[in-house]
Amino acid sequence: MGSRILLSDFAYLAPTTLAEALQILAEKQAVKILAGGTDLLLRMKLGTISHVDYVMDIKHIKELNYACLCDEKQCGSTANGAFCIGPTATLNQIAKNGDLSRLFPAQREAILAMAATSVRNRGTMAGNICNASPVADSAIPAICYGAALTLQSRRGKRIVALEDFFRGPGETELEKDEMLVNIALPVPPADSGAAFIKKSRVKPDIAKISLGVFIERDGTLIKRCRIAMGSVAPLPLYVQKISEGLAGLEMNEQLIAKTAQMVKAALKPISDLRTNQEYRRAISSVLVEEGLRLAWRNAGGELK
Amino acid sequence: MTTLKSSNFRLVGERVPRHDAWAKAKGEQLYSADWALPGMLHGKVLRSKYPAAILRAIDTSRAKALPGVRAVLTAADVPHNRDVTKFGQMRDVGAGFEGLYKVLAEVGGKIRFKGEAIALVAADSEELAERACALIEVDYEPQEGVFDPREAILDNAYLVSSEDASNVIMRTRVEQGDLEQAWEKCHLIVENDYYTSPHEHAYLETESGSGWPDENGGITLRVGTQVLEHYRTIAKVLGLPHTKLRNMSVPMGGGFGGKEDITVETYLALLVKATGKPVKMVWSREESIEAHSKRHPMYLHYKTGVDRDGFILAQEVSIVMDGGGHTYLTPWVQMYATINGSGCYNIANLRCESVSAFTNNTFSSANRGFGVPQVNFCYERQMDCIARRLGISPYELRRKNLLRNGDPLATGFVPLGHVALDQLLQQTWDKLNQTPKPERLPDGRKVGRGIACGMMGYGRLCFLHDISRIGIRIELDGSVTLRAGVPDLGGGQSSVLAQIVAEELGLGIEDVRPLIMDTHMTPLCGTTTATRQLYMSGNACLAAVQPLKERLARKAAAIIRDNQWPQNPATGYIWRPDIEHILGHLVFADKKIYYGPDPGKNVDFVAVVAHVSNEGGELFSEGQFNAPFTEVPDLNNIKGQILPDMTYTCHGVEVAVDEATGDYQVLRIVAAIDCGKAVNRNSVEGQLEGGTAYNLGWLREDLAWEQGITRANSFATYLIPTAADVPDIETIIVESRGGLGPYGAKGVGEPSDNSIAPAIVNAIADATGLEFNTPLIKPETLYLALQNERN
Ligand SMILES: Cc1cc2nc3c(=O)[nH]c(=O)nc-3n(C[C@H](O)[C@H](O)[C@H](O)COP(=O)(O)OP(=O)(O)OC[C@H]3O[C@@H](n4cnc5c(N)ncnc54)[C@H](O)[C@@H]3O)c2cc1C
Repeated sequence: MGSRILLSDFAYLAPTTLAEALQILAEKQAVKILAGGTDLLLRMKLGTISHVDYVMDIKHIKELNYACLCDEKQCGSTANGAFCIGPTATLNQIAKNGDLSRLFPAQREAILAMAATSVRNRGTMAGNICNASPVADSAIPAICYGAALTLQSRRGKRIVALEDFFRGPGETELEKDEMLVNIALPVPPADSGAAFIKKSRVKPDIAKISLGVFIERDGTLIKRCRIAMGSVAPLPLYVQKISEGLAGLEMNEQLIAKTAQMVKAALKPISDLRTNQEYRRAISSVLVEEGLRLAWRNAGGELK
Repeated sequence: MTTLKSSNFRLVGERVPRHDAWAKAKGEQLYSADWALPGMLHGKVLRSKYPAAILRAIDTSRAKALPGVRAVLTAADVPHNRDVTKFGQMRDVGAGFEGLYKVLAEVGGKIRFKGEAIALVAADSEELAERACALIEVDYEPQEGVFDPREAILDNAYLVSSEDASNVIMRTRVEQGDLEQAWEKCHLIVENDYYTSPHEHAYLETESGSGWPDENGGITLRVGTQVLEHYRTIAKVLGLPHTKLRNMSVPMGGGFGGKEDITVETYLALLVKATGKPVKMVWSREESIEAHSKRHPMYLHYKTGVDRDGFILAQEVSIVMDGGGHTYLTPWVQMYATINGSGCYNIANLRCESVSAFTNNTFSSANRGFGVPQVNFCYERQMDCIARRLGISPYELRRKNLLRNGDPLATGFVPLGHVALDQLLQQTWDKLNQTPKPERLPDGRKVGRGIACGMMGYGRLCFLHDISRIGIRIELDGSVTLRAGVPDLGGGQSSVLAQIVAEELGLGIEDVRPLIMDTHMTPLCGTTTATRQLYMSGNACLAAVQPLKERLARKAAAIIRDNQWPQNPATGYIWRPDIEHILGHLVFADKKIYYGPDPGKNVDFVAVVAHVSNEGGELFSEGQFNAPFTEVPDLNNIKGQILPDMTYTCHGVEVAVDEATGDYQVLRIVAAIDCGKAVNRNSVEGQLEGGTAYNLGWLREDLAWEQGITRANSFATYLIPTAADVPDIETIIVESRGGLGPYGAKGVGEPSDNSIAPAIVNAIADATGLEFNTPLIKPETLYLALQNERN
């Protein structure tokens, strides 16, 4: 490894409006968007990114920096409205937001479990999502909360569910002229709750494995459940079939144990320097059990 | 011998902020890599990409042709590419200890580890230097290699080096009593195999520095190093006289043993000589992790026998050490491991045999603890295994067997300093068990407690004939310049010297300015290794300050006698003591010199200095301290005094184990040490806490070596504990005044990391019943073991 930070030369662009940025994306080749740069620069140093001619810094675009409740339909919000996150809002800016902490505690927890303060002061949730790593911590609860992404280019806007956004490690739905311009977290209904659990080697570290759970409760029944997991598949994984299969079922310890076993059987994790395949699979069921119990309790449910 | 001072201290024993604390806090103190000179070039090392290979040919022509490249050097360009490894000692100690030091790999010879230096480049920019490295064509013939020292010592093993006929670096042995007879008397014999993993120093700054040509053909270097005395080897490599190679260090960046060996020095000096320009070299983190030394991985076998009551009757230890690709400090480390193998216990019958071997792994050398944490881990695990088998408490078993004052060490030598092991054990055990141990935490995790003791020397091996020298000059305004060639990379070694001088002269620490770390402008203090600086240079400070103090006191006594005794105007003095009486009662304090029995009689320090100066008296002094001298021991049967003295420690730990995931958390740490005298309390606590955190990391840090390749070669993959992973450390500092350092102090730097790892593993065993035979315990390991237990 060279001591040089970046391996190749590039031009640095710093548009100040979204329109300008979209124009650059439409007209120039080999452009990489820079938000916090905490992933991008590392990948440029390691050379694990395709050739870059232009680095486009979007931090100077004022209109993209926000993190707040909003009720505009176009961002994909539901009846209750949504919490909207702009692409340059930093992780700490998001985590410190009172509405987010109140309405999406599992999202806040996942963000605060990322890296250390200095990285969170620079890094963004949009960057975390667009980097499309299977470990992406902020994506895990966001999938559970049903996040919707707005992708925009000069050709127009489209809304994509977060779980449909990922295609593989580092690969996403984004066309080369598109950028992510909004993340909408639909405000959850009453009687719902969520949980986020992460296992890492030392405290501020990339996850060995992580889990998010969202449950909407109807008395003692599960009305709706969404489970997502990090670091167990080539992409942040929405455990769709098993989650959906829980709708309408009575919540109890047997169901929890059975669900955990089903998830464990369905996973095909890999071994890497962080941990091995067997361990990931083995403790996935422990995480699912813990997560289901926690989310259920957070939804006001009781467990016998 | 020790100067024990009975009077009250003013500075010694206090929490004194270090003289350089503010400069460091404000970022004014530069790292080695921060220095820049006009016209400076950038140096790079081309390193082997194979761990084992024959170097067939090197073609540098394309690299040399690149515009902006000022020098490309290979072994053929090095005046003296080979020397024996020396570590700043003043005495030749012979072939048993001195291995080959090769600056660059030679064509026709073998590459011994991945990362071995093959060529050097200096260029106008770092990028160019890197590009030039990529243009050097190296013809390798890859070899199978050998990566396990147990295989390397077999007869038909692959030979790591092309210079030696065997992979064995050294064999040595310690023996006492009659083992065969003793085994027969044992009620219980516990036998275990252990493995201890390599460990990275992970200092803040990687190996870095700069060098420049001086007038008259000299070269000066400024690099982060623990051993300034390498200047002699560097000079020899370049074919320069010792007078023309000046070496300075930088008081930043950390060392922990990893900067004891030569790192960037010879490379920089060669590039400066070749280009006639200043050159800077900074190793990347990946380069640093792959190419500097590691703590020796060891394979150990322990056999311990006790009688019915738990008294140890016999212990047999055999050790196989992985020296990696080059000798460096392996023989010395091996000596420490071997004489400490049987532990801090009084054992009449013992044998400890060791062998070290070359492998194609990254070479091993000094790492905080110097071969002792490995054996300490094993003998302290043995103790817990025995206690569990006998059904007595680990505290009780240790209490019965601990070394006490007057007991001999394994080599038969009775330590000169105080042995506080029982006191440390008692206090640690009591503090750990202040509250009864809960079976489980409210969240269901299982709780365990563990304890371990440790012993490690301070001061270098006595047969090295160690010395330290200090220079002091009193300025005319009463301030003091302290000159000391003491490498202080952040440990505070120089501050404590300023504190000692200030204490002795009755000044504030701010009145003493240490100028440090310069081979030719400061007296040589010897290496910052072996936990020796306070002991050696502290004593040298006392030696240097005594004659000055004497001179000033004599003048002060005269002034007080002549001017401050009541006179009868008519008849003169009523009564006046003689000078010797006053001298015996003078106290240096508050920038004054007082007559103790009547403090009203005193004179300002600066006034005394003025008098001495006016009369042409000497206001400077150099002092030397010599450690005990012994002869090189018989390696087949090491006997006698090997180290000046020992420092003792004890750690108590509480852990919580999550049986579902194998995750464990260290909840509490009690760390105890007898430091003899805490000269600076902040520093003792800092070392004790830092040492504890350092080897707490040994339990999870994994370099992921695979066939000589370091897979975890960055801090994204090699993870050291963070502040959030280390609990508050409850320190117990015992001050027995029984050390050989100034005021009865002992060294604390390395001993402080000694007993923590076995204490944690003992606590895990207490919680789970699982007996681990390695310090590297990841949640994955623990989970698997718990799983196997269940099935
Ligand atoms: C020390 C350290 C620790 C870390 N720990 C964690 C951790 O615990 N958990 C974790 O998940 N991550 C971790 N990370 C990774 C990283 O910090 C996060 O992924 C962060 O959220 C990335 O955000 P960023 O703004 O810095 O992204 P950038 O690096 O700026 O961008 C990342 C990628 O997304 C693209 N991109 C950015 N914004 C947009 C956009 N609006 N539209 C389209 N593409 C876009 C970029 O082109 C790039 O490919 C860590 C990183 C470091 C250096």
